[in-house]
Amino acid sequence: MGSDVSRRHFLAAGAGAGLYALLPAHARAQSKTLVAATFPGTWNEAHRNLLAPYFRKRTGASVTQSIQLATEQIAKLEAAKGGRPPFDVAILDEPQVYDAAKQGLIDEYPAAKSPNFKDLFPVYQDKWGPKISLQVIGIGYNPKKIKTPPTSYDDLLNPAYKGRVGLTALNSQLGMAFLAELNRIKGGNETNFEPAFKALKALLPNVGAVAANLGAYATLWQQEQVDIAPYNFNFVQTLKAKGVPVEFVVPDTGLVGWTTSLHVTKNAVEPDLAVAYIDSHLAADMQSEMEKPPYDIIPTNSKVPLTSAIMQTVAKTPADLSKIRGFDWTKINPQRTALIERFNREIKL
Amino acid sequence: MVAITMPRDDEWPLALPLAALFVVCFVAPFCVLLALSLHAGTDARAFSIAQYAKFFGDTFNLGILWSTTWLAIRATLVCVVFGYPIAWVCSRAPARWQSVLVFLVVLPILTSVVVRTFAWIVILGREGVMNDVLRALSIVDEPIPLLFTETGVIVVLAQVQMPLMVLPLLATLSRIDPNLGDASAALGAGAWRTFFRVTLPLSTPGLVAGCILVFSACATAFVTQTLIGGARLVYMPLHIYQQAIGANNWPFAAAISVVFTVAVMIVIYALNRVGGTSKAYAGDGR
Amino acid sequence: MQATAAEAASPATAGPLPDVAPAPRAQRATWDARSQRILFGLLTGIAVVFLIGPTIIVLLTSFTATESLRFPPQGYSLRWYKALLDADQMQAAAWNSLIVAVWTTLICVVLGTAGALGIARSASRLARVGDVLFMSPLILPALAFGFAALVYIHLLGLHPSLPLLVVGHVVVCVPFVLRTTIAALAQVEPALFDASASLGAGRLMTFRRVTLPLIGRGIGAGAFLAFVASFDNVPVSLFLADERTEVLPIHLWQQIDTNLDVRTAAISGVIIVVTIVLMVLAERFAGLSRQLAR
Repeated sequence: MGSDVSRRHFLAAGAGAGLYALLPAHARAQSKTLVAATFPGTWNEAHRNLLAPYFRKRTGASVTQSIQLATEQIAKLEAAKGGRPPFDVAILDEPQVYDAAKQGLIDEYPAAKSPNFKDLFPVYQDKWGPKISLQVIGIGYNPKKIKTPPTSYDDLLNPAYKGRVGLTALNSQLGMAFLAELNRIKGGNETNFEPAFKALKALLPNVGAVAANLGAYATLWQQEQVDIAPYNFNFVQTLKAKGVPVEFVVPDTGLVGWTTSLHVTKNAVEPDLAVAYIDSHLAADMQSEMEKPPYDIIPTNSKVPLTSAIMQTVAKTPADLSKIRGFDWTKINPQRTALIERFNREIKL
Repeated sequence: MVAITMPRDDEWPLALPLAALFVVCFVAPFCVLLALSLHAGTDARAFSIAQYAKFFGDTFNLGILWSTTWLAIRATLVCVVFGYPIAWVCSRAPARWQSVLVFLVVLPILTSVVVRTFAWIVILGREGVMNDVLRALSIVDEPIPLLFTETGVIVVLAQVQMPLMVLPLLATLSRIDPNLGDASAALGAGAWRTFFRVTLPLSTPGLVAGCILVFSACATAFVTQTLIGGARLVYMPLHIYQQAIGANNWPFAAAISVVFTVAVMIVIYALNRVGGTSKAYAGDGR
Repeated sequence: MQATAAEAASPATAGPLPDVAPAPRAQRATWDARSQRILFGLLTGIAVVFLIGPTIIVLLTSFTATESLRFPPQGYSLRWYKALLDADQMQAAAWNSLIVAVWTTLICVVLGTAGALGIARSASRLARVGDVLFMSPLILPALAFGFAALVYIHLLGLHPSLPLLVVGHVVVCVPFVLRTTIAALAQVEPALFDASASLGAGRLMTFRRVTLPLIGRGIGAGAFLAFVASFDNVPVSLFLADERTEVLPIHLWQQIDTNLDVRTAAISGVIIVVTIVLMVLAERFAGLSRQLAR
C-alpha cells in the first residue's frame, strides 16, 4: 500500500542517515573541533563572530563555544577532575584563577608555544594563563528616562527610581564586584560585608528586578524594565549597538575592575589547539578588532592603541589602565558561598 | 468501541527487552539516586538521612517545594478552564474541523519548548505585545511587569502544556454515548444541567488524566520556569540543577530529586483517587 | 430507550396540555443550549489564539530587519535566516539532535512495538505492572531521571556521550510509542489473529501480514511523537549531553538565557516550519489527529 511503502522508505532513510553519521570515520567533518568555554553577553558574541573564524583560518579547526560563568566552569572542572575535562579552554575572572590553580584544574600556560604572549604588557603575562582583558564596572542608565546622568552609586537610592533599579545575582562577577565595591564605599573590608548588605537592604525598595544572570539582565534593559543599575563597560556598549537606550557613567568613587584570562585545562583533549586558540586571542589584530564597537573589549596587547570610546570613559593611556583599582580576591573567595546564600535569602523582591 | 479481547498470556516474552532496558536504565538509576541521597557528605561512606534533614530543616527549601506545587496546581486550573471548552467543542465538531482543531492544539506541544518559551519572552516584556494589547483595551494604564513574575510563568506554562489536557479530555468526551445527552434533554434537562449532571461526571477520567499529565509537566518544566521566571524565582527543577551542576553537591541534589519525585507522586495518587470513584460512570471497563 | 423517552416527553401523547406549557420550556432550552455554545465557543476562541499566537509572533519576529526582538518588527528581511548559514555551532548542535532523535526513534519503535504486543492483550498482573512501569517516565519528573542517569553513569565509570544520551532518550520517549501502539492494538478485531492462525500462518507471518498493517499507523504516530520528543528533550539532555555533545534545545536555551540574539528567532522559525511539515506528513500517513484523540 502507498502509505506502507512511504513509511518504510522514511524509516529506512532515517536509519541510513543515522548509521552513516554515527560511523566513526564519517562522524564529523574531517577537521578537528576544540571545545572552549566563553562568557555570556559581549564575550560570547566577540568569540563567536571574531575569534572562531580567525582560529579556523589559522588552524583549520572549528570550535564549540559553551557559555558558562566562571563559577560554573570551576564546578564542572572539579566534577570531572582526574578524567577528561568537559572543555579544553577555560575563561576565568581573577577570583577564580586562584582557586583553579590551587585545585589543579588548569595547566601552566606554555608561553614558549605562544608567539603573541610576549606582546602583552608584563603585568598581563601570568604563568597560569594570559590576561585577555580588563573589565570595569560603573553605572548604566537609560538616558531617555533619566535626564541628568547619575554621578555616584548613592544615586541608585533616589526615590524617583523606585522600582526602576536593577541588580544581578552574585553568581556573576558583576554582582560580586558590585557588592565588594559597595562594601568598600560604605566602610567595610574584605572580611566584613555588613555595610554592603545594609546598603543593599536600604536599596531594596528601589529595586525593580534582580536578574539571575547577565542574559536576563540584558533582557530587562531591552524591555525597559530597569532604568539604572551597576553594569560593565563593554556590556553597555554592546546593548547600545543593539539599539537599546543605555549609557555608561563612571561613578565619583572611581572605576573598579578585574582581569579576565584564558587557560588550558588539565588533561585537555586537544592541548595544542587550545594554545593556538588562546594565542589567537592575544594577537594584536584580533584584539584591535575586539576593541571596536560593539564589543569594546579593553585590550592587553601593548601593540594595540586604545579607541576613543575607551579613552573617553575608561583610561587615556594603557598605563592608566593598570592603575584601575581591583580587590583582594584571595580574601573574598572563601566567603563566596556564604555571601551568595545570604544574598539569595535577604535580597528578595 | 473497544473490542472485548481474549487475554493472551503467551506473548509476554516480547516485552522482555523493554523490561530489561527499564530495569537497567530507569529503575537502577533511581535506586542509585536514592542511595546517594542517603550520604551525609560528598565523601562519607555511612548512610544517614542528613541530606533530608537539611532539606526539611530549612524553610528556604520547603518554600521552594511549596511554590513549585502551588505553581503547578494553578497552571493546571488555567488549563482546565481553557482546555475543557476546546475539547468539548472539538468533540462536537464535524470530522474535518476536528482534524484541524486537533492539529492546532497539538502544534504547540510539538514545537520546541524553548521556541515557545522564547516567543513568550517577546510577548510578555514591558513593551511587548501583551502590554500593548492591555493598554489598547484600556485594561491597564501603565505597563505591568509580566516577565520574571510568577503570573507570567503560570500563563506560559498553561499555554505550553494545555494540549496535554485537551487530548485525554477529547478522547473521553468522544467516547461518551451521545444517547445519554439526548436522553437527558428529552427528560427535560437544559443544556447546562445536562452538562453538569451527565457530561462532566462522565468525562472525569479524561479530566483526571489531563490534570495528572499537566500537573507533572508544569512542576518539572525547567526551561519555562527559568526563562520566564528568571532565576530569582527558584523552583524545584532549578534547585536540583543548581545543586547538582553549580554547587557540585550531588548527595543534596539527589535528596531534592527524591523529595520532588515523591511529592509529584503524592499529588498524582491523590488525583487518581479523586478520579477513581467516578471511573464506574464511564463504563468502559478498564 | 431514546424512543420511549421521546414518547414520554412528547406532548402529543400526554393528553390535552395547554399550548403555553411547551413554549417557555423550549425557549429555556434554546437559551440554555445557546448560552453554553456561546460561552464554550468564546473560551475556545481565546484558548486557540492563546495556543497559536506565540508561534505566529515568533515566526513574524524572525523576519525583522533590525537587531531587536520587538514585535511588530520594524522592517522585514531574511538576514537572520542567512545568518543561520554561518552559525556553525548551531548547525552542529542541530545535527547532534537529529542523530540522537533518529536512533532514539528506531530503538523506541522496535522495543516499544514488542513491548506493546507483549502486554497489551495480557490480563496478568505482571502485564499491568509493566504497563505502569513503562508509562511512568511520562509522569515522573524527567529532570530527576536525568540527574539519576548522570549519577548512574558516573558510578559505572563512564562519561556522557551520544550513545548514552540515546539510551536516556529512549527511556523517556518509548511511552509515546507504547501508548499509540497499545491503543491501535485495542482496535483490532481479535478474531483476525485466530483466523490467521487457523489458516496455518506462523506467529511471525501473522505479525507481518496481519498485525503490522493494522497497527502500522499507530506505530507511525508513536514514532513521530517519539522523534519530536527526543529532538526537543531538555531535562535528560541537560545532564547527559555535555559541552562536547551539544544538542539544539540546550544550545538554544543557553543562547536565550545569555543573549538577545535574533538568530534564535530565525532558528525557531525553521523549527516551526519543519514541525508543521512533519505534522502534515504524519497526518497524511499515520492519521495523527485520530491517533491522538483516540
